[in-house]
Amino acid sequence: MALARLLAQRLLQSLVVVVGVTLVSFATLHLGGDPTYLYVGEHASTEEIAATRAKLGFDQPLTTQYLNFARGLLHGDLGDSLTFHEPALGVVLERFPATLELTIAAFALALALGVPLGVFAALHRGRPLDGGIMLFALIGQSIPSFWLGIMLVLFVGLAWHWLPISGRVPLLDPLLAGDWRTAWTNLPQALPFLVMPSVTIAVFSLARTARLVRSSLLEVLSQDYVRTARAKGLSEGRIIVHHALRNAWLPVLTMLGLEFGFLLSGVVVVETVFSWPGVGRLVFNAINHRDIPLVEAAVIVFSLLFVGVNLLVDLLYLRLDPRIRLA
Amino acid sequence: MNRLTDRERRGIGVAMRSRFHRGRRVTLLGALFVVASAATCLSSAATGAVAAPTTGATRQVLRIGLPVDADSLDPSETDAQDTMSIAHLLWGTLYKTSSDGKLDPYFAVSAKLSDDGRAYTFKLRPDLKCENGAPLTARDVAYSFDHPADPKFKFTGHASGFVLPALRYTGARVDDPLTVTIQFAAYNPIALGLIAEMFIFCRAPYEAMTPEYAASHASATGPYRLVEWRHDDRIVLERNKSYGLPASPYDGVVFRVIPEASTRTAELLAGNLDIMSGVVADQIDAINHSGTAKVESVASIRRIYVGFNQNPKFAASAGGKAIRDPRVRRALQFAVDVPTLCDALLRTPCARMATMIFPPNDKTGIRADPFDPDRAETLLDQAGYKRGADGVRFALTLQTPRGRYPNDVNIALAIAQYLTDIGVKTTVDVLDFASVFVPLVRQHVAGPLFLMGSSGASWSALYDISDFPAPDGGSNYSDFADPEFFAGWKQIDQTHDPEEQAKVVRAMMNVFHERGTWLNLYFLPDLYGVSNKISWRPRADELITLD
Amino acid sequence: MSAVAGVAGGGAYTAGRRARRSLFRAKWPLLALGLLLLLAVAALFGPSVSPVDPNRQNLVARLKPPLAVDRRSHRVYWMGTDGLGRDVASRLLHGARISLAVGFVAVLVGGLLGTTLGMLAGYFGGAVDALIMMIADIQLGFPFILLAIMFLLVLGPGVVNLILALGIGQWVTYARIARGQTIAQREREYVEAARALGQGHAGILVSAILPNILSPLIVIASFNVASVILAEAALSFLGLGVPPTVPSWGGMLAESRDELLAGHWWLALFPGTAIMLTVLSFNILGDWLRDFLDPRLTAVT
Repeated sequence: MALARLLAQRLLQSLVVVVGVTLVSFATLHLGGDPTYLYVGEHASTEEIAATRAKLGFDQPLTTQYLNFARGLLHGDLGDSLTFHEPALGVVLERFPATLELTIAAFALALALGVPLGVFAALHRGRPLDGGIMLFALIGQSIPSFWLGIMLVLFVGLAWHWLPISGRVPLLDPLLAGDWRTAWTNLPQALPFLVMPSVTIAVFSLARTARLVRSSLLEVLSQDYVRTARAKGLSEGRIIVHHALRNAWLPVLTMLGLEFGFLLSGVVVVETVFSWPGVGRLVFNAINHRDIPLVEAAVIVFSLLFVGVNLLVDLLYLRLDPRIRLA
Repeated sequence: MNRLTDRERRGIGVAMRSRFHRGRRVTLLGALFVVASAATCLSSAATGAVAAPTTGATRQVLRIGLPVDADSLDPSETDAQDTMSIAHLLWGTLYKTSSDGKLDPYFAVSAKLSDDGRAYTFKLRPDLKCENGAPLTARDVAYSFDHPADPKFKFTGHASGFVLPALRYTGARVDDPLTVTIQFAAYNPIALGLIAEMFIFCRAPYEAMTPEYAASHASATGPYRLVEWRHDDRIVLERNKSYGLPASPYDGVVFRVIPEASTRTAELLAGNLDIMSGVVADQIDAINHSGTAKVESVASIRRIYVGFNQNPKFAASAGGKAIRDPRVRRALQFAVDVPTLCDALLRTPCARMATMIFPPNDKTGIRADPFDPDRAETLLDQAGYKRGADGVRFALTLQTPRGRYPNDVNIALAIAQYLTDIGVKTTVDVLDFASVFVPLVRQHVAGPLFLMGSSGASWSALYDISDFPAPDGGSNYSDFADPEFFAGWKQIDQTHDPEEQAKVVRAMMNVFHERGTWLNLYFLPDLYGVSNKISWRPRADELITLD
Repeated sequence: MSAVAGVAGGGAYTAGRRARRSLFRAKWPLLALGLLLLLAVAALFGPSVSPVDPNRQNLVARLKPPLAVDRRSHRVYWMGTDGLGRDVASRLLHGARISLAVGFVAVLVGGLLGTTLGMLAGYFGGAVDALIMMIADIQLGFPFILLAIMFLLVLGPGVVNLILALGIGQWVTYARIARGQTIAQREREYVEAARALGQGHAGILVSAILPNILSPLIVIASFNVASVILAEAALSFLGLGVPPTVPSWGGMLAESRDELLAGHWWLALFPGTAIMLTVLSFNILGDWLRDFLDPRLTAVT
């Protein structure tokens, strides 16, 4: 049926994306020159350098290196990280729950605060509350995130002692390992550490969500069928909720799929400022050190997550509004 | 009237199942989240304990903040300077270096050099133990040397990549359970110091671990054992009960990884850290005035200099040709006001670099060149490099890493300004350290000027000058090839007498100085933030020790 | 009366009039536009007027607060000096030029690339469309910052490389919109008319379709200039921005991060405010542009 065919189509597209992503990162990293010098000691002799180059496989032609990598990928083996001397995929997955925690928290914040703010602004259009919310949203979209992070550290963390400054108590790690008990006991300790970093990431998305919800809702509210509903005598609240929101969430949902990828972008800066041990910092250092297996592993995990979220969004589309036929 | 059509009813049904409740649900969840976090924040703020968890009221835990994570906790693989501090807490060594550069017995009670100078025999303490309580014997010591040297594992750390090759290690001989002899290919005046850098660990646990497992799981022989390593976050150590020697007062040590300097300082000022490395110069005053912490500084063994690259690749350009002339290099030594650089940019008076040798070990009597731009200009004129019509004598590029050494970019920019002021138009190239700068330097093609730091030793002048072991030496990044200098090494090898060796070293350093091989800057002042609640002095060799 | 005439050509006069009226009615966009014009003037002419070299160091006069007076030359440091004793006000002025240039050119690069590819994809369809969209999907699968980091590491530092990296990072947005709009326009009568008249594909694309799809692209461009300026700041924070000898607002803000704890607030306040006001203005302008251009399109159809 249509759903199965759509799924198959999407999966094929996703596969192409993941393969393309690995190809691009592979090519880009190798274009930067011979990385062997990053892996030999300060006083290494020319023989040692040549030996290391052979050991790490950098002396083979690029196509061979990529094919080896691809072959390993099909077996689930992404090779060993050159800086950690451990399986690259393991290194990435170890830090992944931390980044996921941040992203989910930021996502939830952006949704939980952005949607109501957008609705209020739309309902009070033209009045001071609307102007205030919109100004706040515009400012939120205009602040460099690292600056906001450092401000939070210095004021909320250091000067006012409201929240811990840096670090993390694991929440998702025990949860994903099935250890609900530890996750539950960790929760009260973990949340204070989570607040500032996720707020820093969330601000931009929150602002954007609020503005999008507002404009989307306003557009819908001016449509004919809403006028009809009003003429029928339905209360304003009912109109908003039953009719307007139902159609306004469509563009919001589209945006959310892309927003997830955007949130992952903000993670690198925030993880550095708050010393959050996640994949963002890891992959930034890995790129700097030309740790190609590690970058590949991280990039694959990121893109899989991204296509997964977008697939979910597409499915939600279908489920909640069967009128839409995706081309 | 108000009757809804079937379509609308169905639509509302869908909406009620989805959007309406979803919107409400999400808002409720969000509100709950906000309330929950507010409640937990306030409660934890009330109890005050938001730092590393401590168990028990009288437990003393030392909390140290570092900018980078450990690279590996496998003693055969570890390489980074910061990791060395952690490693010295986990494992012992045969001899150890005191803070003033003396080699003292540690796991060994005595060391005897053989007559041909190619072996050291060590007598071990009888009370050494592995982490599980088993006795640590000469066999374990031999394993500690053979394992990193084992080609099967292809270790590339400090031990196997530097110490053992520099020592020219050939093997270890077990004479009896408490006596072990370390053998090497030829007499080496710094052999004992090199041997002191090898960590001693037990054979049984490490034979049972793969290198991948050993990287994150340590079997200790030193005063502390590894409890947990949460990557990129923290390393938690606790007292090793099997360690028989006098213990330090701390029950546990936590190393927290905090890459951002301001965040690290904030944690120190908030009282969540006891010691912090990598203090930003401009934050010194803020820390000293805080009332919770102060800044301790020490002139480290790391020499910061600008190298003149004499690789033929640079000979083509006017500037590159100019710096091949030792008179030009000598002239430029007077062009930079190093004390002002240190005071202004590092906010600490620094030990000026007169020679490559760490000042307490420097017996050459050579003095650093003073800041004298007029003299620099005169010398350049005399060498035949006069100012052109535009005031420029020749142009140079100064390559510098970013963030590798404290304020490196600003130091480079300031040096460039000084040189430009005397007519040597210098542009600064800022390069990423790991991915760009290091490869260039290793291939000896950085330059023609490059800002660099090189770590020496607190215990030996010879170690300090071994950056230039040979004209084609790996660490000879400037391709310095003066035959008079390198003849000195042969003379050192021929005599075992420290007095004679010191004379040769003085002669070599005179050559080095006259040829202006490096633009000598300073010994890097290391800045540490130390909580007012503890008393701790930093070491020149950048090791964080607890005794 | 074809739709084309209503938008391009003869409608320009009335469009300008409507724009001015709309701007004066809404205060914020007018303010934003005024600020941006001021900025443009400062960026173009400021550096030639400013007497101080933004790169001239003066180690003795480092970290002076705003309104401090230099002891020897009696010059006033209106916005203080930075860690190397360089005049902040002068750097801010020169930085305006760099930051705006980076913002505009990056958006131009991305916009040109994206619009061209999007139009090609929408117009020709089939294999061309599939290929271009596949490349777009692949690029979307990357978090932007990773792509930028990798590009900059390979290309090396420099303003040109930064512009390239930022520009290439955003072509997908333009491409998607251009493609969608082109598909909507390509079956219209005026396109068929042009084809009948013997115009080649390139001619049709450029002279007929392009003017009709410009509006949403301009709106996006306005928002994107804002996000490029922010991205430049983030990349400077990671050490991948403009070289330190080139003043830029993002670079100045990134350099100031360690000075905040030391209490040297002016190093962050001035570039931070400059960035925020500029980005805010572009966002406000983009909002107004979207409101202004949209009803016109629906009215014409």
